[in-house]
Amino acid sequence: MTKEDDLITTDKPLGKALEKQLRGLLDTLIPATEDGVMLSAADIDLMPYLQLHSAESIPMLIQLLNELDDQFASLTQTARESIVEQMSITHPGPFKIVTLQVFACYYQDERAQRGIGMDAGPPFPRGNSVEPGDLSLLDPVIAGRHSYRKVED
Amino acid sequence: MPNDIVDVLIIGAGASGAAVAWSLADTRMRILCLEQGDWMNSTEYPSTKMDWEARQQKEFNIDPNVRANDWDYPINDEESPISVVNFNGVGGSTILYGAHFPRLHPSDFKVKSLDGVAADWPIDYDLLDPYFAQNDRMMGVSGLAGDPFYPPKQPPLPPIPLGLVGETVAKGYNKLGWHWWPSDSAIISQAYEGRDKCLNLGPCMTGCSQGAKSSTDITYWPAAIRAGVELKTQCRVREITINKQGMADGAIYYDAEGNEQHQRAEVVVMAGNGIGTPRILLNSCSSLFPDGLANSSGLVGKNLMFHPVGFVQGLFEENLESHKGPQACCILSKQFYETDIERGFTRGYNMQVSRGAGPVGTALQGFVSGKIPWGSKHHAAFKERFDHVAALAILCEDLPEEHNCVTLDPKLVDSDGIPAPKIHYKLSENTAKMLKHGLSRGEEVMQAAGAREIFSGGPVRPAGWHLLGTARMGNDPQSSVVNNWGRSHDVKNLFIVDGSIFVTAGGLNPTSTIQALALYIADSMKKNLANLFD
Repeated sequence: MTKEDDLITTDKPLGKALEKQLRGLLDTLIPATEDGVMLSAADIDLMPYLQLHSAESIPMLIQLLNELDDQFASLTQTARESIVEQMSITHPGPFKIVTLQVFACYYQDERAQRGIGMDAGPPFPRGNSVEPGDLSLLDPVIAGRHSYRKVED
Repeated sequence: MPNDIVDVLIIGAGASGAAVAWSLADTRMRILCLEQGDWMNSTEYPSTKMDWEARQQKEFNIDPNVRANDWDYPINDEESPISVVNFNGVGGSTILYGAHFPRLHPSDFKVKSLDGVAADWPIDYDLLDPYFAQNDRMMGVSGLAGDPFYPPKQPPLPPIPLGLVGETVAKGYNKLGWHWWPSDSAIISQAYEGRDKCLNLGPCMTGCSQGAKSSTDITYWPAAIRAGVELKTQCRVREITINKQGMADGAIYYDAEGNEQHQRAEVVVMAGNGIGTPRILLNSCSSLFPDGLANSSGLVGKNLMFHPVGFVQGLFEENLESHKGPQACCILSKQFYETDIERGFTRGYNMQVSRGAGPVGTALQGFVSGKIPWGSKHHAAFKERFDHVAALAILCEDLPEEHNCVTLDPKLVDSDGIPAPKIHYKLSENTAKMLKHGLSRGEEVMQAAGAREIFSGGPVRPAGWHLLGTARMGNDPQSSVVNNWGRSHDVKNLFIVDGSIFVTAGGLNPTSTIQALALYIADSMKKNLANLFD
């Protein structure tokens, strides 16, 4: 009898087994930092992001996940990196596309943005403070021999 | 059943259509503008959302072939190393532009006389000067007076911030003794005309949620509509119609429901940009004009000029906070703008400093270039690059060549079945040499500024912002499409006010000059109302 968690539905295109593999893959691609400042990519909500922005990459992701051994998620980071490195060579196209989407999803996450020192929230209405800059740096330009090219009548 | 006749029908609500509509409103004529796109809603721009960088890649992509909205028209650019980028909607490409707002220089109007190439314009900088100033006030332009590379001018607002990026690269220019100056930017650095000042969001090129970037939907259009101009959106023009006397008498368009309409008009003004305008003219064939309207010279669609772009990026030890501030505008250099034959090419380029990418852009560029890996070394590599990159764009002057052109694609059509434009373009040897020179000089600047890693390349493919020269201005009907005030030589009540009429391109972003030309042409029409068609 199939458990509900194993059902593949439109809003949940991976079954329980592939979900586990996905967590392992994401944690391999972007692991958390030891100081806990940067979260693991396994802790971001990748599937809704892909459904909204890159539905065409979902079959590629499933293809990659199906390549992984059942024990993959429980291996060490070093061992997983070695397997994923091999995968990047045997499936370069899907691997590149999926990795780009993982990166994109990760860095649009508010927790990741806080981790890299950005203020919380989308650019608007937050805004940013930017130094006006030192306009006295123009002094040598003004003192120089620069001039626009004159046009004779 | 034809619609009621209007005095002036303007086709396109972008940079030039908005300016000409506002200026002509003085006359109290009945003015109608048809726009194939719609009004934008700034609360829906990507910068109001966390996933703004993903939305920039699709629904707000600069390439109409990627956006592929029903109101965009496809463009066959397979035969061009540079793809056309634009936006269709009220405001046109000013919705997504970077808002660089330099004027052409006096010398740009006289390249034949000065350098023996291409052709002189039939007008000059001095004639346009008051229209440049009027346009700066209407749009809201920030900048710093005193740039020695221009005759005296006074931007209405102080410059946008240099930030650490601008200061760092400026020091590099100073070490080399080269010119640089804060960019003239159509971004308001202070509250202006009911709009609040720039918040340094960063993603200017996805539409400005703050309304500080001067797109014409929030500058000219509200004023023009208050003055009585009517603007109909989601109306795509298929062709200009003519009467038996060979005068334009209106346009056939598809309305928002896809119904074919015939709008009659006494005067037709084309404002569809250097691709859209020749597309409509070439599609307006008749027994009187079998090769397309206003095309007795054979030059409609010919002499297409872009500004081929190269890029140089420098990676710095210091955190430059480079994702903050207006994306494209900062400082620029005209050190290599004018001809020096010892460089091996004619004319020149400007170097524009831009700010760095957002976090997603940094990660993606880093992965593709092999600089930011996945795995346990990811975070350290990302940290090293994010906010540590300054960039230069090398914007080259393109000279007119007839083989660079726009034609109608024999198969590709838009959602209304109208033939799509096809681009035929090759990078000239002169431009290729110029680009190579610019990339080398850009690397020198980054080195002088202290970059510890430099990478460069070009021409950038999705960089066909500036669409110029395809219905050029001139006094001789055999070598030009419109006269010295934008009126077609062949059809006396047909005017063109967009970038099509540029004779040469200069080496600068053209929007300021396009709009000054539109205001000048509108003024010329007003001065000649009594004998407009003589």
